[in-house]
Amino acid sequence: MKIALCSTFVPFIYGGGRNIVEWLQSMLEQEGHHVERIYLPQVDTPDLLFRQMASYRWIDVSSADRIICFRPQSHLIDHPHKVLWFIHHLRFFYDLWETPYRSFPDDAKHRGIRDALYAADTAALLEAKKIFTNSRVVSSRLKAFNMIDSEVLYPPVFQPERFYSRGYNNEIVYICRMEHHKRQHLLVKAMQYSQTPVCLRLSGLSGDLRYLNSLQHLISDLDLKKRVILDHRWISEEEKVEYLADCLAAVYLPFDEDSYGYPSVEAGHASKPLLTTTDSGGVLELVSNGVNGYITEPDPKALAEAMDKLYMDRQNTRAMGKNALARLSDLNISWSHVLKRLLA
Amino acid sequence: MKVLIVNTMAPFVWGGTEELATHLQKNLVIAGHEAEVLRIPFQWEPAQRLPSQMLMVRAFELSNVDHVIALKFPAYLIRHPRKTLWLLYQYCQAYDLFDAGQTNLLNSYLGADIRTLIKNADNESFAESRNIFTNSEVTSKRLKKYNGYDATVLIPPINDPELFIGGENNRGGYIFAGGRVNEMKRQYLLLEAISKTTKEVRLIIAGPSDSPEDAEKLRKAVRRLGLEDRVKLDLRFLPRQTYAEYVNHSSAVAYLPFDEDSLGYVAMEAAIAGKALITTTDSGGVLGLVKHNETGWVAQPDIFSLANAMNEICCDMQRTKIYGLSAKELLLSFDISWPKTVEVLLQ
Repeated sequence: MKIALCSTFVPFIYGGGRNIVEWLQSMLEQEGHHVERIYLPQVDTPDLLFRQMASYRWIDVSSADRIICFRPQSHLIDHPHKVLWFIHHLRFFYDLWETPYRSFPDDAKHRGIRDALYAADTAALLEAKKIFTNSRVVSSRLKAFNMIDSEVLYPPVFQPERFYSRGYNNEIVYICRMEHHKRQHLLVKAMQYSQTPVCLRLSGLSGDLRYLNSLQHLISDLDLKKRVILDHRWISEEEKVEYLADCLAAVYLPFDEDSYGYPSVEAGHASKPLLTTTDSGGVLELVSNGVNGYITEPDPKALAEAMDKLYMDRQNTRAMGKNALARLSDLNISWSHVLKRLLA
Repeated sequence: MKVLIVNTMAPFVWGGTEELATHLQKNLVIAGHEAEVLRIPFQWEPAQRLPSQMLMVRAFELSNVDHVIALKFPAYLIRHPRKTLWLLYQYCQAYDLFDAGQTNLLNSYLGADIRTLIKNADNESFAESRNIFTNSEVTSKRLKKYNGYDATVLIPPINDPELFIGGENNRGGYIFAGGRVNEMKRQYLLLEAISKTTKEVRLIIAGPSDSPEDAEKLRKAVRRLGLEDRVKLDLRFLPRQTYAEYVNHSSAVAYLPFDEDSLGYVAMEAAIAGKALITTTDSGGVLGLVKHNETGWVAQPDIFSLANAMNEICCDMQRTKIYGLSAKELLLSFDISWPKTVEVLLQ
């Protein structure tokens, strides 16, 4: 089949929004499909929104048998067989409207833009043969704002069969970009309350040097250099596999994200339990407290307690790791399921 | 610098322009820049769609980009404060092909309006560009004639010059004709010609045929003319290494496209390998590299003139070799390289 994968991008910014497209492309090509990837620019400034949306309506991909659209506003592209794997709205106009993140006033003009956007989005969404989302959070937003039903199709990680478990050492790993909303600082603070020799490894690149500095200072101020490894770099995929194979458990505790996050799924494929927090959003779709990981309050003392439990009760940690892997198949997080649904 | 290459695409089609954009990206990265390619789908049928396709490009917004290099219509209509054109293609059906009667722009008020619109939009884009370069004399002349803009020719460099190291004709001596096989490239003329040469002349034709009919035509000619022991046909898409070996071990390279826009990769690859060239008087841009009795032979596009040139290659190998070295020298004097090209495009 000739399949066009359509999404939007900001040049030179790489990350989750591209991964879901490019990994799917690779899987579809393995299955023998002819895939074209189309990334088009999108700038979220309210005044420029509708002219860009007009552009999307004029795009002609009729040579494709089917198109799959991802990031907004690619769902506006017109095609007789349009399937959406919808990953978020233009959030300032939707779920972030009532938050400090909205960068424009709540006035008549912007409310007008918002109402027109809702109408245009809903109309374009209704054109789709089928709408999938990446999480229950996004599905419930589609229901609340656009009154449209959708099916959750959890995005798998690339080549999940790479991950495995070799044992359980004393290290809890957090492999993720180091940013304030990913909250590595909560874990460093937690380490001072830990009663066991459990160690913490933070691996990842930071785009925010001030945050990185604050983490470094925190580690030396709390005299944790021996127990906290801060590895500030983009580690290779092979290294990631190794760290996850050996670790005791993994962490993913961002503040209120839509989807469960790839680090959470990678940990599951390595049969490692996940430590997360009650306010982490989509991660909670994956983790049940005490079953395949721990969910604590976003508080250093509570986190320390969970880390100590992971260290002390090895048998339970091991069992939760097994459950973490089983949970992935329970939720159908696999490429075979994704391909089956998207090509149905 | 963050450099965005902006190109058009026909979804599911990959060709020379896509390759060029990819190599430009690669060489920008080598030069220490960040580079990405934006490919904008473009539909030109029916012609009534053209205005919306142009508006589509014009309405896109770019952020996080320091410098744009735009290649083709209508991609170069994109707005950016620092935009350089490396013009490979205008909408020729509104220009020279329109004059030649080969156009999808109807002979009506609407067709005339669309044509005016294209010309005005082009002119506006050219005016707002920082620099305009083209890929060939033909493109530059078209731009000058119809839009009044001067543009320096910046010939696309060979993508992998390191493969074309030249060498001895230690495989028995043969004339090599590489590249795509079709009517316009006229490989069949070489077959007709070799049937009129001395028996020593041998020929290899290798490359992908545009259609099964193109391939069959050559196979039939070989049988009809009884050339099985002197001609080898290798009609398929060749790995670059295989192609380069054919060039490196040849005595000379024949390339006779009809009215080519530019020097042509096939001719440039032969010259960099130090091979003498055979072409014809009507081969267009290729004549920039083939000087008669200096870097090779410029024959009439007929069997006997070509047969004569092919005989000369084989009767005096020393001279053929000297022509080959001159071809290389001439190409090097043009100073076409990726580092230079990247530097010029970022000026």
